[in-house]
Amino acid sequence: MSEIAAPTPRAPFKPGLIARAIALFSGLPGMIIKFVLLAILNALAVWAAYVLIDRGKWISLAILVAATLLIDYIYLAPRSWTLPAKFIVPGTVFLLAFQIVPIIYTIEIAFTNYSTGHIISRADAIQAIKVNSLQPPANGRQFEMAPARDADGKLVLILHDDSSGAVYAGTKKGLQPLAKPTVTISPDTGQPTAAKGYTLIKGAELFSLDAQLRALEIPTKGDSAIQAQGVSQAVELQPTLRYDSAKNAFVRISDGTVFRDNGRGSFVSVNGKEELEPGWKTYIGFHNFGKLANDPLYRSPFVKVFVWTFVFAGLVVGLSFAVGLFLAITLDKKGLRFQSFYRSVLVIPWAMPAFLALLIWAGLLNDDFGVVNKILHLHIPWLFDANWARVSVVLVSVWLGVPYFFLVSLGALQSIPAELTEAARVDGGAGWAIFRRVTLPLVLVAVGPLLVASFAFNFNNFNNIYFLTQGGPYTGTSSIAGSTDILISYTYKLAIATGKGQDYALASAVSIVIFFIVATISGAMFYRTKAIRSVQ
Amino acid sequence: MHHSLKRMWALIGVIAAIAAVAASSAGASHKAGPTIVIWTDTDRAAAVTKVANDWAASNGATIQVVTKNFGDIRDNLGTVSAADAPDVITAAHDWTGQLAANGLVEPIFLSSATKASFPSYTLNAFSYGTAVKKLYGVPVAVENIGLVVNTKLAKVPTTFSQLETEALQVKKAKHQTFGIAVQQGSGGDAYHMYPFFSGLGGYVFGTNKAGNLDPSDIGVANPTLLKNAHLIDKWNKEGLISSKVDSSAAQNAFLKGQAAFWITGPWNADTLKKSGLTFKVIQMPAIAKPSVPFLGVQGFMVTKYATVHGVDSAAKDLVTSFMATPAAQTQLAAANGRPPANVKAKSSDPVLQQFSAASKGGVPMPNIPQMSSVWSDLGQAWVRSTKGSGAMAASKSFKAAARSIAAKIG
Amino acid sequence: MTTTDHTELTAAVAAPRAAKAIRRDRPKLKDTWWRHAVAITAMVIALFPVVYTLSSAFNRDNSLQGATLVPTHVTLHNFGNLLHNNVTLKSGGKTDAPYLRWVFNSMVIAGTTALLTTLLGALAAYAFSRFRFKGRRFGMIALLLIQVFPQFLAVVAIYLLVYNLGNVFGPLGINSILAVVVVYLGGSMGVQTWLLKGFFDTIPNELDESARVDGATPAQIFWGVVLPLALPVLIVVALISFIFTLNDYVLASALLQTNDHFTLSVGMFGWVNQQYGQLWGPFCAGALMAMIPVVILFLSLQRWIVGGLTAGSVKG
Repeated sequence: MSEIAAPTPRAPFKPGLIARAIALFSGLPGMIIKFVLLAILNALAVWAAYVLIDRGKWISLAILVAATLLIDYIYLAPRSWTLPAKFIVPGTVFLLAFQIVPIIYTIEIAFTNYSTGHIISRADAIQAIKVNSLQPPANGRQFEMAPARDADGKLVLILHDDSSGAVYAGTKKGLQPLAKPTVTISPDTGQPTAAKGYTLIKGAELFSLDAQLRALEIPTKGDSAIQAQGVSQAVELQPTLRYDSAKNAFVRISDGTVFRDNGRGSFVSVNGKEELEPGWKTYIGFHNFGKLANDPLYRSPFVKVFVWTFVFAGLVVGLSFAVGLFLAITLDKKGLRFQSFYRSVLVIPWAMPAFLALLIWAGLLNDDFGVVNKILHLHIPWLFDANWARVSVVLVSVWLGVPYFFLVSLGALQSIPAELTEAARVDGGAGWAIFRRVTLPLVLVAVGPLLVASFAFNFNNFNNIYFLTQGGPYTGTSSIAGSTDILISYTYKLAIATGKGQDYALASAVSIVIFFIVATISGAMFYRTKAIRSVQ
Repeated sequence: MHHSLKRMWALIGVIAAIAAVAASSAGASHKAGPTIVIWTDTDRAAAVTKVANDWAASNGATIQVVTKNFGDIRDNLGTVSAADAPDVITAAHDWTGQLAANGLVEPIFLSSATKASFPSYTLNAFSYGTAVKKLYGVPVAVENIGLVVNTKLAKVPTTFSQLETEALQVKKAKHQTFGIAVQQGSGGDAYHMYPFFSGLGGYVFGTNKAGNLDPSDIGVANPTLLKNAHLIDKWNKEGLISSKVDSSAAQNAFLKGQAAFWITGPWNADTLKKSGLTFKVIQMPAIAKPSVPFLGVQGFMVTKYATVHGVDSAAKDLVTSFMATPAAQTQLAAANGRPPANVKAKSSDPVLQQFSAASKGGVPMPNIPQMSSVWSDLGQAWVRSTKGSGAMAASKSFKAAARSIAAKIG
Repeated sequence: MTTTDHTELTAAVAAPRAAKAIRRDRPKLKDTWWRHAVAITAMVIALFPVVYTLSSAFNRDNSLQGATLVPTHVTLHNFGNLLHNNVTLKSGGKTDAPYLRWVFNSMVIAGTTALLTTLLGALAAYAFSRFRFKGRRFGMIALLLIQVFPQFLAVVAIYLLVYNLGNVFGPLGINSILAVVVVYLGGSMGVQTWLLKGFFDTIPNELDESARVDGATPAQIFWGVVLPLALPVLIVVALISFIFTLNDYVLASALLQTNDHFTLSVGMFGWVNQQYGQLWGPFCAGALMAMIPVVILFLSLQRWIVGGLTAGSVKG
């Protein structure tokens, strides 16, 4: 921008207290701060490296070490190229870690089946299916149990059969009947409280045996075994499914039904009707994108939502700017009474936390009981009719957006040299013509990039939709997309309420699609506003 | 700057070394003694702490109670890191399918004696499995909605047409836009509308031969319901119910005496008692079929993290042997203003007893994860068909909902 | 718009406004009455929800729907309950709603984020404005494009990232306020950097030069010369970042899990969510108390906002 020689900064500004405070930090204290920050960074890196080595995460470790060394080098070894890097690196680190990496991660998730029923690893899923398949056999027995140690200190379960009253000592070798008189049974709970020749385990020691208790299986008939449930009960259990690791499939023992790995993170019966839960997280290629393109459930609302997202963002930006500019022109009159008072009041909707304003508007717009209808003596179904709901979200969004454009336009108007409009007036221009030929283009130059940014922002204005209508009302045949849903709120719904619950992978796929759409449009528009071209 | 470089490296080295020592010592520390972490909601925190500590005292264990918003317990369980994860959670029965499908909770076993002290629907409510059905929770409290009648304004109706007449009379007298205060709002509320839904012959999921809920049998637009759907159009036209009534509008109308009938649950028992109104809670009179409510059961589950933390057997003992006892149940249920699930632990509160009585024949909310595809569509079916002028014909609206649900479940 | 236009206009805009100093006589009311009419209408609309929030906050009723312009039963009940964490649910039970804690969390998160975002953005903008280096143009354009991918689109990924970070370094894990700040900082380079760079471009290079002649390092020029002169635009950037952070719901609700770590948006949404039966009374009281400091902050800084907002973009 060097060819435009601006003689002085816009607002002549006296360096005040804050400025002097900042200046203070630029000498030796500044350098000390830099060293301290750098040292802390290195310390954290060493800490993290420890943990990563401990867990064997070598790729993460390599990235960590490389990044830390690079940063140290940039700040400690002066070279010509490190000078700009010193200033850019701090922000870039955060940008990479929490903006770029999540984007890449989102792309990765989009190619998985990460969703309800598919969040754990395959090994964990197989283990869980095995445990879930345990079932009491016909006439399976239940026992009151007391863990104990025998004379050799080995873990033994003293078992009391509820129905027969028989008592046993159970080890991993099997059940060994005990003589009834040698075991004392509590009359209230049926729990063994003492057994001759055994020391009952109590209190903290009992709980320290958790893993051993769970691992102890007392074989009975066939593949049945007695297992402890908690510390005071044991149940005879039999697996109903057998895992065949060679064939990578589960087999139901009762009828021989085979459940095969379907390649999408589930064991499914050969006839496709039954599925074992839980499934696991795995890569499923373009499946999610295919769903969006082919499944009418997602495709038809997607198109509708897509169009409305543009209309919404366009209307909100356009109207906010128009109203904001109009107000700015109205109030940009030298010496107008109460000017600064008006300006202060008019920016309040922007200063107010928007989520509060949105929730309050939602309450005020209720059509039978809401204040808006009551005051205006109307019966407009603000949130219940599809079109009125669209009007509502646009109007409230404009209410929120006007102050910003009002201020921006005011700034732009005040920076237009009076001579320019004077000259136009001398040339015989009428008010409207001057506005159209001189004022508007000048304001647009100033505000253009902000309009694009605002469009991109509203394109993804989740809060406005979610807090006001939650995407509703639903008029069509599907409740996946309501009349006011924009792409981002639609994505959110996909993530929380389809199929069996949450479908993060599908939502990620939509996120990627949205990203490409917005990036393309914004790129094109920024290009048109010359913001990009002007960077040399 | 060059000459200071060496010193700088030394400084960084020292700080890094300190951090390294701190890191290794932090990793070395271990917890001593078994600690059971319980997630519960604010209402129940005090009672859970007390009951669990009674158990812990006699077993030499430590209890750590973490308070959360009720719904967050389910959501956070799937995403919490193992170190902070709970061993036991307070849960609603309709979470069972989702939590079990994700492998987050462990099956538990109750002794036959314990089982016998719970109504079988409460145990069914906590049982889930696609291949083998397993019990995942110990019931503690039950809840359901009922029809609250302001007995000063209207007689307690015994038939639905009586209810309709009375409600419309009050509506006219008080210049209201609706007769029965039942909450919907633009988001819909399939739970509060369920008595109407079941009364018209609707059901959510049918059951298969094995007695499990069958997500492919969707009864949202079954022939019986469609045959009776014209009643919904009639109610809409005469203003018996209106989807524009949200929870706050419904409550205000009843408490201010502008509506004689309110459909709500035991969570409003205190509000009702404090209101000074004379009222009675009943089950809504039958329409074409009995107008039964959804039943909700709340209880405790043992998470998979109990195994990770090595306290699995302790956690199971706490939940299955101790939380199930009548004494514990009475305390836990009372803390939340609900009738206890254990039949030996009756609530003495007259209003809660009336709500309990209104549960007769009720249907436990489906606990399979596919239910998450149902709530909004079923709620919207009601919103569309009862929004006053411009409402969609009910048969069309429910058919659309059924199609959408089927498509979402896939 | 042609290129010629652009150059002309920018040049024109850059020229100091000569007429600014001239104070004309106050215009007559008969010429300006419509301006007042427009302004008053706009004010009524702008303040409409605020007035009803005020009324509901002081009303004993728990509803926004029965609200009237003037509360029917004036009471401070809602405020007292908020301050004593004593918000009663419709169920009769107590919410654990530590309102003051939420305010504190929000202020810490939004304040820290605003401060650091501005600092990081200014550092980068300084480099883009003052140095010529390889990848400069690419960097600027990349910033603009990345900015259109809002962080919350990647909320699932961010969640998992923070989850894994927490396993390595506890304080940056789930339910940590620090983690939320750090995540927000990921969005610190973007439009703000453009805005700041635009403003830095208007600070004449001669100032740098003379400082350099005096032996100042680039760091000293940045801290001592550029930053003080750019204070108005720094304040604007910080303020925008503050408000933006305060309003975030999606990320905060995904990353924060316990009541005492919630921000205002996450905590207060629970009050009007159907699930808790719409507690409009405490909500409005809380909203009022939350918005007053922000509005005051805003109004006290507004003389800089008007100029600062457009400064950067005008100079593009």
